[in-house]
Amino acid sequence: MSAGLVAAVDAQTLVDAVGLGAVFALMAVGIGLVFGVLRLVNFAYGQLVMAGAYTLAFTSGWPVGARLLMCLGVVLVLTMALERAVFRPLRSASPAVMLVTTFAIAFLLQAIARIVDLRDGTIGEAAASVGGLRQAVTIAGVDVRKVTLVAIAVAAVSLGLLALMLARTTLGLHMRAAAADFQTARLLGVRANVVIAFAVFLSGVLAAIVAVILTIQAPLVTPGFALKETIVVLVGVVVGGIDRLWTATLGGFAIGFATGVINGALPTEHTVFLPSAVFALVVLVLIFRPGGLFAPGRTAVVERV
Amino acid sequence: MTRPLLELDGLEVRHGRVAAVRALTLAVHEGEIVGLIGPNGAGKSTTLHAIMGLLPPAAGEIRLRGEPLRGRSPEAVARAGVALVPEGRRIFGGFSVEENLRLGLAAARGNGASERLQDVYGLFPMLADFRRRQAGALSGGQQQQLAIARALMADPDLLLLDEPSLGLAPGLVDVVFEALATIRERRVTVLLVEQRAQRTVAFADRTYVLANGRLHSTLTRADSADTDKMIAAYLA
Amino acid sequence: MTERLDSFAQLLVPALLVVAVGVAASLASRSNEIHFLNALVAVAMVVAIYVFVGNSGVLSFGQISFVAVGAFAAGVLTVPSALKGSVLPGLFPVLRDHTIGNVTSLLLAAAVGGIFAFLVGMPLMRLSGLAAGIATFAVLEITHNLLREWTKIGPGATTLSLVPETTGPLQATVGVLVVLLVAFVYGRSRLGRMLRATREDPAAAQAAGIDVHRQRLWAFTLSGALAGFAGGLLVHMLGSITTEQVYLELTFVTLAMLVVGGVTSLWGAVVGALAVSGLDSFLGKAEQGVNVGFTLDVPTGTRLVVVGALMALVLILRPSGITGGRELRLPRRRAA
Repeated sequence: MSAGLVAAVDAQTLVDAVGLGAVFALMAVGIGLVFGVLRLVNFAYGQLVMAGAYTLAFTSGWPVGARLLMCLGVVLVLTMALERAVFRPLRSASPAVMLVTTFAIAFLLQAIARIVDLRDGTIGEAAASVGGLRQAVTIAGVDVRKVTLVAIAVAAVSLGLLALMLARTTLGLHMRAAAADFQTARLLGVRANVVIAFAVFLSGVLAAIVAVILTIQAPLVTPGFALKETIVVLVGVVVGGIDRLWTATLGGFAIGFATGVINGALPTEHTVFLPSAVFALVVLVLIFRPGGLFAPGRTAVVERV
Repeated sequence: MTRPLLELDGLEVRHGRVAAVRALTLAVHEGEIVGLIGPNGAGKSTTLHAIMGLLPPAAGEIRLRGEPLRGRSPEAVARAGVALVPEGRRIFGGFSVEENLRLGLAAARGNGASERLQDVYGLFPMLADFRRRQAGALSGGQQQQLAIARALMADPDLLLLDEPSLGLAPGLVDVVFEALATIRERRVTVLLVEQRAQRTVAFADRTYVLANGRLHSTLTRADSADTDKMIAAYLA
Repeated sequence: MTERLDSFAQLLVPALLVVAVGVAASLASRSNEIHFLNALVAVAMVVAIYVFVGNSGVLSFGQISFVAVGAFAAGVLTVPSALKGSVLPGLFPVLRDHTIGNVTSLLLAAAVGGIFAFLVGMPLMRLSGLAAGIATFAVLEITHNLLREWTKIGPGATTLSLVPETTGPLQATVGVLVVLLVAFVYGRSRLGRMLRATREDPAAAQAAGIDVHRQRLWAFTLSGALAGFAGGLLVHMLGSITTEQVYLELTFVTLAMLVVGGVTSLWGAVVGALAVSGLDSFLGKAEQGVNVGFTLDVPTGTRLVVVGALMALVLILRPSGITGGRELRLPRRRAA
């Protein structure tokens, strides 16, 4: 093996990898929350991020606060519309049907975005940076883009708040119960619609946050924005163990971190087959642990009663 | 004669094409303890599930204090004052005992979380000792107490129990029936589904015998000593 | 007796439909011919997918991988040898120095598809539900990545062109009829019936002695072979192929066709493929402006929106599809 393959994992790469892991962790929570209460894998999650990104792009000239608000608003409206029109009618369907339907929705939204984007003849809209976060600072000799630090901080705070909410509040208790045993939770009086709406709402908020971070890192918004990331996160979540929120989040972070490290350490010529290697690993994990790496034993995903 | 708390009127519930419960008419009055016994597959659990809104009735009426319950979601039925202690207990093993109890408050009307907790801990002192333990670590009998306590947290008017003694050793069955006796003292109305016919008939004010989805007979407490009637009930 | 007639009709009617489309293709103008041929190749692909997904009830996002390997295998080996060296310089010598004929390429495509499916299916067939969906998606990604980057087996990221365009109306029709026949025979065979039993109730089927893993593997392999064959038809119709043409969008469209038609029946696969192809072609024309009494001109990209919306609507409102997931039944005469 040539010397070029020896991993040059420096502090720079590590920080960037943690940043990527942080973003993926946020997306993983967004996907995991909805799965917990609905047993539904939202393939279209990336399109929610895309919608937020397009909003940021189309409001490039506005003041920062207004842009963030618009992004949040658009994503939330789209998310709640999805819940009403797609998730609710599918509540009693099998996970496979739900997966295929959200797959269709993902394509549908992407196709709509393509039409909207193309009205000026070119694909792609540029989103102006928020607060100059694209610039780098030097910390302890390492060049770090401000946005990476913001991503890590935002992710840590968001996840911390979420964990607190779930553990300490009544609504959090109800949500955890619904994710563990939906039917019994309802028997005890937990309002299904409220819990589901709240989980979907939270996942929308997270999608908006991810949209802001990603548009700062990669300002060109296309219909396929965040599609690759969604696929990777989805894979990470299922490999980590989609059944429980913390394993899903861990899986998302892990795959983001690993991708960041490998991409940063290996020169480009050697990374062309990286997707194959990663996906082959995914298949291996799923064969031996269909419930996920961090899930106990060989149980497959529990169907909702 | 006051209006019954719970009325089933010609209830019919289907599992696919098969009618699990047919033409079931019975009533439970306030403060009563009514038993529902019968062989496996007689439709006892199905009846409770239909009352709770988990299964849609194909025909007939379910009334709580004269108000129709049919068509309401399970959480709405719970909030109307009906609590179910499900078969197999279905406690949340990953949560603590106290969290399980707090979950029972979801259907509560009015405030007073801490009073309800104190009250329930008074009824089941063992649970107070284990309040921070993981519910999954409790024994079968303790979990059954937890399930009943959890149902009581919402201060229900009507308590439904689905085979609470299932899978429990005889000593623990005593514990369960003792708890039920305490509940009786508090004038909570109870509909008790059980496989242990004799104990139920001896304990309840009235016991309905279900067989093949239909009402077979009604027994009183006095009948528990009548061997012929008990055998007839067993063989229903 | 009616049962016999029913099964005869279940093969004959789709076959006649296919032939009708083939005839239309041969009568159509040069520019319209492609639409009919597209529809036919779509039928082949969707029926191939149905053979596995419809009979087993297991979701697979990966069947297009087999179309891809079939297309590239047939394509690479039929590029005229005189040109191959310059167009595809990085190829393995065995691929570069050999060129095969039309029919051979189709058989090879089927073989490659089938073998690949068998190898992939062996470990994967014990999965179901969500895990199967993700794992088969991973297979799609791996195939795409390998075909795109490994220049020793194909053109990599560039277009593979100069493939002989041998799929005209005749080859397409005959090819699709072959696929239809194989799918039909499998479906009615004991193997097919055993697999369908596992679809309804895996536990009961297993208790009855059916080896779920083996039955799924059979269907998966057969599906892979048929998909590979369809890939061969595809590459010979287009005369070229790129990795993006046999990747996510095609996966989505073919799944949509199957769902809209009705996942659990062969009739559904055929109806769905033809209906959505027709709609797709019509919208494709509308994107350029078409005359339907008035001029209909829709923005580019509308076709995917409509197909996506249609698929979502069917899944939400009528999950069993146009055909209700059932095969054809001859109208019964009412009892006197």
